[in-house]
Amino acid sequence: MSRECLGFAPMLSARPGELGAADEEALRRHLAGCDACQARLADGAAAAGLVAEGLLAAAARVDLAPLADEVMARVGRRGLAGALRWLARHRAVAAATALAPAALALGLVLYFGGEADVAPLAGEVEVVAEGFAPVVLTGEEGPVVLLGEAAEGS
Amino acid sequence: MQRTSALVAISLAAGLAPRAAAPAEPAIPVRVRVIKGSRQGPPAIDPRLEYLRGHLGKLAWQRWEQVSEEGREMRFRRPERFALPAGESLELTLEDARRDTVTFRVRLPARQAQSRLTISKDQRIVHQITDEKGGEALFATVRPWP
Repeated sequence: MSRECLGFAPMLSARPGELGAADEEALRRHLAGCDACQARLADGAAAAGLVAEGLLAAAARVDLAPLADEVMARVGRRGLAGALRWLARHRAVAAATALAPAALALGLVLYFGGEADVAPLAGEVEVVAEGFAPVVLTGEEGPVVLLGEAAEGS
Repeated sequence: MQRTSALVAISLAAGLAPRAAAPAEPAIPVRVRVIKGSRQGPPAIDPRLEYLRGHLGKLAWQRWEQVSEEGREMRFRRPERFALPAGESLELTLEDARRDTVTFRVRLPARQAQSRLTISKDQRIVHQITDEKGGEALFATVRPWP
């Protein structure tokens, strides 16, 4: 293998788009004049194809149908006792996980103070009176509340 | 278990910290005037009530004079009681204050009446506090940041 071929050898296994434009052009020019590197490139492609085929074949031979049943069977065997053992070994994590939502909720309540934070608008007037009918006049200067006429029966 | 306690303490501290750092609630200066409106005599407005001309000009009473005046520093949700003539009183509560608005609750205990009014900071409240007798009636005016 010539020194030039040694320099291009790592590029032969590059994926499409992996090489820069300059390297890709240099490799293309080298391959055009080097039968040995063309042969190596063909061998690599064939090997990659064989590996891919082999992996697909191996995956196809695996039967995943009983996987879910096997997992559920293992969970059933470990069950509550297993979960409790895990919790006993990781008390701090378990406690923090359980308390974190409560602490977060408490923090939010303390921070916002439960305020219904709807800003009242200027001009909002609400009058409650017994025995008479109030009258509210509104204007740019502000509201005027008049006691109005006494209601009937008062 | 110590780690658990530390986690809980940190969570609580994080929740409490902003509250602890919040400044004390400020007091808002409020001036309450009791004014008398009359239908008799020539139209006139007490010079001290000139700033209320827009309010008073659209009412049936044409002669206005100031009866009393009192300023208080009001804090949120703490009712302040103002004495009125004839032994009555007016209870004023600062319920809300925002950047541009302020909300008061005005109560007339003797009349079982209350109003909740939101005004912008350059507005005033005029509230009738007695029935009209002989063409005269008393009003209270509320002016924040006088």
